[in-house]
Amino acid sequence: MATTRARHSAAGAQFLDPAVLGRISNLELLARTVVDGFLTGLHRSPYLGFSMDFAEHRPYMPGDDIRRIDWKLYARTDRHYIKLFEADTNANFSILLDLSTSMSYGSHSLTKLDYARYLAACLAYFSNKQRDRVGLVTFDHEVVDYVPPSMKHLDTILHTLDQVTAGRPGSLAEPMLRITEMLGRKGILVVISDFYEEPDEVLRALAPLRARGHDVIVFHVMDPFELEFPFEEASGFEDLETGEQIPVIPGKLRSDYLAMVKAHLASLEKCFADNQIDYRLLDTSQPLDEALFQYLLSRERASKAR
Amino acid sequence: MSLAFLVPLFLLGIAGVVVPIIVHLTRRQRRNVVHFPSLMFLEKIPYQEQRRRRIQHWFLLSLRALALALVVAAFARPFFDQASGAALGSGGPREIVVLLDRSYSMEIDDQIEQARMEAERILTDLGPLDRASLVTFSRGADVIVRSTSDRSRLRGALDTVTVGSGATRYGPALKVAQTILEESTLALGEVYLLSDFQRNGWTGDEGVNLPPGSSLLPIEIGSEHEPDNLMVADVSLPRQIVAGRERITPTARIVRQGGSAPTTASVSLELDGREIQTREVTLTPNSAQPVQFQPFTLSQPHTTGTVRLDDQSLGADNSHHFVVSPGSSLGVLVVNGVRGSNDPSLYLRGALEISDDGRFDVRSRRSATVRPADLDGAAAVFVNDVQLDGGSAERLRTFVEDGGGLLIAVGQEGGWPASAADMLPGTIGPIEDRLQGRGGTLGYLDYAHPVFEVFSGPRSGDFTGARFYRARAFVPADSASVIARFDDGSVALAELRVGRGRVLLWTTSLDAFWNDLALQPVYLPFVHRLAEYLGGRTEALPWFVTGQVVDLADPDALETAGLVSSEAAGIAEGLDQIALSPTGNNVTLQAGDGPRYLPLEEHGFYTVRQPGTDPERPFVIAVNVDLDESNLGRVEPDELALQIEAPTVVDDGSPRLSQAVELQREDQERRQSLWRWLLVAALAVFILETAISNWVSRREAGAARAVVG
Repeated sequence: MATTRARHSAAGAQFLDPAVLGRISNLELLARTVVDGFLTGLHRSPYLGFSMDFAEHRPYMPGDDIRRIDWKLYARTDRHYIKLFEADTNANFSILLDLSTSMSYGSHSLTKLDYARYLAACLAYFSNKQRDRVGLVTFDHEVVDYVPPSMKHLDTILHTLDQVTAGRPGSLAEPMLRITEMLGRKGILVVISDFYEEPDEVLRALAPLRARGHDVIVFHVMDPFELEFPFEEASGFEDLETGEQIPVIPGKLRSDYLAMVKAHLASLEKCFADNQIDYRLLDTSQPLDEALFQYLLSRERASKAR
Repeated sequence: MSLAFLVPLFLLGIAGVVVPIIVHLTRRQRRNVVHFPSLMFLEKIPYQEQRRRRIQHWFLLSLRALALALVVAAFARPFFDQASGAALGSGGPREIVVLLDRSYSMEIDDQIEQARMEAERILTDLGPLDRASLVTFSRGADVIVRSTSDRSRLRGALDTVTVGSGATRYGPALKVAQTILEESTLALGEVYLLSDFQRNGWTGDEGVNLPPGSSLLPIEIGSEHEPDNLMVADVSLPRQIVAGRERITPTARIVRQGGSAPTTASVSLELDGREIQTREVTLTPNSAQPVQFQPFTLSQPHTTGTVRLDDQSLGADNSHHFVVSPGSSLGVLVVNGVRGSNDPSLYLRGALEISDDGRFDVRSRRSATVRPADLDGAAAVFVNDVQLDGGSAERLRTFVEDGGGLLIAVGQEGGWPASAADMLPGTIGPIEDRLQGRGGTLGYLDYAHPVFEVFSGPRSGDFTGARFYRARAFVPADSASVIARFDDGSVALAELRVGRGRVLLWTTSLDAFWNDLALQPVYLPFVHRLAEYLGGRTEALPWFVTGQVVDLADPDALETAGLVSSEAAGIAEGLDQIALSPTGNNVTLQAGDGPRYLPLEEHGFYTVRQPGTDPERPFVIAVNVDLDESNLGRVEPDELALQIEAPTVVDDGSPRLSQAVELQREDQERRQSLWRWLLVAALAVFILETAISNWVSRREAGAARAVVG
């Protein structure tokens, strides 16, 4: 955690605290605030692969924008021609958002789901800005909402993100298989989840996506209480998804718990690394820049590889 | 003796002992609930279940279990079953009723003491589950103790039994026993009848039916021997007016029952507690002798007198008490018209004036007008064969409404003003003659009416000899009552209540012109009864008999009891009264709107007065014993028992028997009340457990702080 914070300050960017973000109800405004602020802190343009390819000329018709007249061709032919370009989008960018009940947990003002929504909105806005086709899939133990990737779907995505709630148990295997079938064209997939499954199962669930040639970026969203387990009083702990309850004396279990969480995270990181999946653990108490940096790094790596 | 439970079903609650153990072992402790995203990691941690599943304080747990067990046992209501087996073996518990005769004949040879000893023996033989009642009886029955198994209470009540003044009547006592047995839940009933079994107490038609399963066990007290008893059977108190003062010549009738040889007894007369005269009387076996005393002058009201006989066998009937007061004459006004030299009231006035005791103060007025002064002191007015004017009729109306009595004898000249016709019991018609044959007779007399009541008995007055040749036709009003008719059905005497008084109308004459009733022997008592009835006179009784009741709030009853004036008795409305019985017991009679009944249960003199007063001549009521009890002839006890023997019942496991046993168990449990002690013990254990657990908690908390530090 200390390492993450140091990297933020090294970047020199000042971002809004997640608690402040929670008070912005408009997701588009939120995404623009975050992304624009983020971009101003970068030293080079993040927009990669952006170009306009010439398509053809056609005779000028009254009403056409005179600024698009190819004057050089007029000089040669003494006729007015309009220069037509073919727009080029870079990639399909889809966000896979976990809506399982465990995502509704939050020890402070933001739940994990809120944090994930903000992150998804920011990524969608950012990708749309660089002319990627952005899409959204929400899931718990099955696919809940599917917004196909498109340049025109940002509003739909933001609206969908605005409406999502977590209310059902979740699992990765089934919805991932279904998403693999739905996303025909390969692209960039961002999976946002708390991954309360065994690392092997998580990897097994994401394997079909990877096999299809998608670039998969994983954001593991965790609440600080999940990472630090600061509870003191003996209490009954109830599983948000199953409702199961067990008595817990936190003081006696903390060390064991933290060790297990640490082992779990390490195992996930190793598994993803082995399968060329970018993985980043996000603490919901920290700003969103970490995720955006991770995203840019992934895109950069992908462009280099291409 | 074994430990049993009245409600053993509650013992199922002992299973609750495992509740604290289960709670302890299953970690079902109440605590705060923390919602956590996933228990994935927490569930993998090997939690210290063993610590929860190990009972650390066995002693505390034992205390809690013990306290709970004590509470459960208390609710099950334990008791030591002392004799249920024995009771069932002997046919079940019994409901026993001891009927103890306390009539005054039980004083002979101290039979009451023998009866008490027999009752004591019966109570001693009671089984542990038996219940007993103690009932004393003479003319009536008193339940002294009702259906209890408390021996000490029964014995205490038995010690208070004394001889009374009443005569023996078995019916009420056996009825009470029947009621007790019918209300009892016990299957078997036994009625012990302790008495000297006088024949007069049993008529055979008492209608006693003891319930099935019960029996009557007569126990004869004393032994039957030839009775030899003297008693004062009666005292007559004829009065005479001598020199304007009343003189009474008491005559006692002495009766001897049984005996074998002539005996001489001394008979004395006491007045106001002082012996005045003594006479000797010799009586042969089974004979009676009158004893006449010298006359005494009666000057004081409520003079008490006693004729006392010297006899050793039975004391209660050896004295005869009476109370006499100077009589007051009844004012009678006779109004008749002037019809030449004939006096229509000759016979009437003569009949009223003929009396030894001067009971009527007769005044006569020959006029068609009645003045107000004429009515002063008059209680009855005879309007005989005269037509009064309207003013006189109105004066008589006021007189009657105030409580006076008026007799109108319409005769040849008689009549009544139309203005006051509503005072009459009907409408007076024309003269009707009965000249055929020997004339008419009185065909119907209402013997229930006070006027004719004294003539109801045989040879008590013959009205059939009187002949009636002429009478007025009369149509009775709806509100009037006809108390005498002629043989042809026409009205002879009718009555109408007006205000507080009464009006009688005689449709023929009271002289010898229209009939010959005035020449008949019955005429004089008839006229006397008419005057007494009109004047509202009630004959005072010189004595009562034990068992009778006097209503001291009823003026008529008081007059019957010999009360001369309310001042003399200190009786006034709205004030309490105190009656002092012959044995000195005070009975307070509360003032109120209702009756004030004074039961006369003792023989002797009851004195009635106001609280805090001591009048010189208090109101006294004399009470004598019922002489039926003096007849000492006995009935065979077994013969009496056979007449009221109840059907037997066998133990067939009937619900009633089992219910009875169950009730006995409940009785035992109630008496032992072990549940109270168990609850106290449970409370003590709870307190001990709380103290120990607090001490253990503090100790463990201190140890934990030491480790953290």
